[in-house]
Amino acid sequence: MGLWFTAPALLILLTVLAYPIVASFVLSFQRIRFAGEGLSHQFNGLNNYAELLSNQLFRQALFRSIYFTLVEVAAVIVLALLVALMLNHPLGRNAFYRVVLLVPWALAPVANAVLWKWIFNTNYGVLNAILMGIHIIDKPIVWLGSPWLALNMILMADIWKAVPFIALLLLAGLQNIPIHLYKAARLDGANTWQQFVHITVPGLKASIVISIVLQSIWALKVFDLIYVLTHGSPADSTVLLNYLSWRETFSNLDIGYGAAIANVLFIIMFILALIYIRALRPRQIKEK
Amino acid sequence: MIPYGRSLKRFLIRLGLATFALLALSPVLWGVVTSLYPLSSLTSRPPDLNPANLTIENYILVFDTSRGLFSGLVNSFIIAFFTSAVGLVVGSAAAYALARLNIPGRNQILLMILATQMFPGIVIAIPLFLVMSRLDLVDTHFGLIMVYLSFILPIVIWILKGFFESVPMELERAAAVDGATPLQTFQFVVLPISLPPLFATGVFAFIESWNEFFFAIILTRINVKTAPIAIAEFSGQYTTLYGQMLASAVLASIPVVVLAIIFRRFILEGFVEGAIKA
Repeated sequence: MGLWFTAPALLILLTVLAYPIVASFVLSFQRIRFAGEGLSHQFNGLNNYAELLSNQLFRQALFRSIYFTLVEVAAVIVLALLVALMLNHPLGRNAFYRVVLLVPWALAPVANAVLWKWIFNTNYGVLNAILMGIHIIDKPIVWLGSPWLALNMILMADIWKAVPFIALLLLAGLQNIPIHLYKAARLDGANTWQQFVHITVPGLKASIVISIVLQSIWALKVFDLIYVLTHGSPADSTVLLNYLSWRETFSNLDIGYGAAIANVLFIIMFILALIYIRALRPRQIKEK
Repeated sequence: MIPYGRSLKRFLIRLGLATFALLALSPVLWGVVTSLYPLSSLTSRPPDLNPANLTIENYILVFDTSRGLFSGLVNSFIIAFFTSAVGLVVGSAAAYALARLNIPGRNQILLMILATQMFPGIVIAIPLFLVMSRLDLVDTHFGLIMVYLSFILPIVIWILKGFFESVPMELERAAAVDGATPLQTFQFVVLPISLPPLFATGVFAFIESWNEFFFAIILTRINVKTAPIAIAEFSGQYTTLYGQMLASAVLASIPVVVLAIIFRRFILEGFVEGAIKA
């Protein structure tokens, strides 16, 4: 009986997800060419993967993705924790601040990208206007024009968009910490810092691990911002793994090679997924 | 000493909260405000923000300049609506079974559902594109809705399962005693008391499918271009029509931001908690 309830959902998940995942592995071992009407598939062994290792752009994209993910996760967790702590304080319980959190989160990522494109605009952007107004710089900076800077500006826009959701997660975690623990600690004479270290941090540990994993996965997937802000330029300096895989497959039509890059990304995320599942599990046992 | 330290702490928190609100809202407000000025005001130096110049002309012009924007908004609505509607029907049934009915392989199914959240879209996008081109499903509403369902369903199931588990068993036992089948119990007893979380997950599904870009750019060509695609194309094509560019972004954001604000209580309680509770 129960199976009939789950069957439609499972059917959709299996057709849309299970087959493509298997197929993606198969494709990554093939050389695929456009032949007449359709595609010609030819077994190619590990060549696509060998090409990855020797390809400089791939190595750079991998390195940049790692940099991007590490910085994004660190910045988002710290900022989100700060926001969550403030919103958990009696002064921050106003519903207004919850609305403030939801706005960047609900915003379409493409709309977000367009917004930052305008803010970063060299001639008319408000960022240059502000910095010149307070005399930090004396001529406009081309924010998206030089390699390292462009990547970091994309990073900044992505962090801005990501903080609210993680803050909401951590806030929910904070609210699950029993208040009587704090009361008991205060009776024992613990100060704010000691309460934070000995009650808040251990109580939030699972939420923080989950936030780190989810945010890493999202950072590895970043696409919309790159597509709208730079298209990978200048000189391919903002090409990250996900974007590279998309470009090789759908622009350069090197489908096997694109699939190989996608699988590298998949393996990285799979490892992160295992951590997520482990982080969830101890609670399940406790609850039962 | 203590009152002084206390008031300093309160001052710092207020300052922090104000900074946070300013940083979170000002980019959005700046975007909305500048979308209401003509191009000549935005490109004069310093920008001429005289309220006398406020106009909605960008919002009118953008529909002329971008032929795809209007149909993009319509397509996004159709796709988001059907994704959330089907997602709710199919997902709530699965969630109920996983929460209450003993089904074989329950834990494996739950793990599988959780794991679907971890795939990079590109892994499934490449084979999906090949299969869907062969089946003529590229550039159709149906194709995109199916793909969106595959990542909306796991979230819907996960959240609703948590909710159904929290419903008191007595109601369902009473229904069973009166001879109701599981389907009847679900339909007439459980669903009516589950409207708030159903709404919350529905809104969430709507927002996610409305905003989605990555699969939309791969799986659409001409007919079912969604709003995000229309905006991205516009900003790539008319790089200097700043006001209209922002107007298109504002238009596509209003429905989802308004939904999020209206249903914030449900989203905060139902959705966010679901992510950290297994």
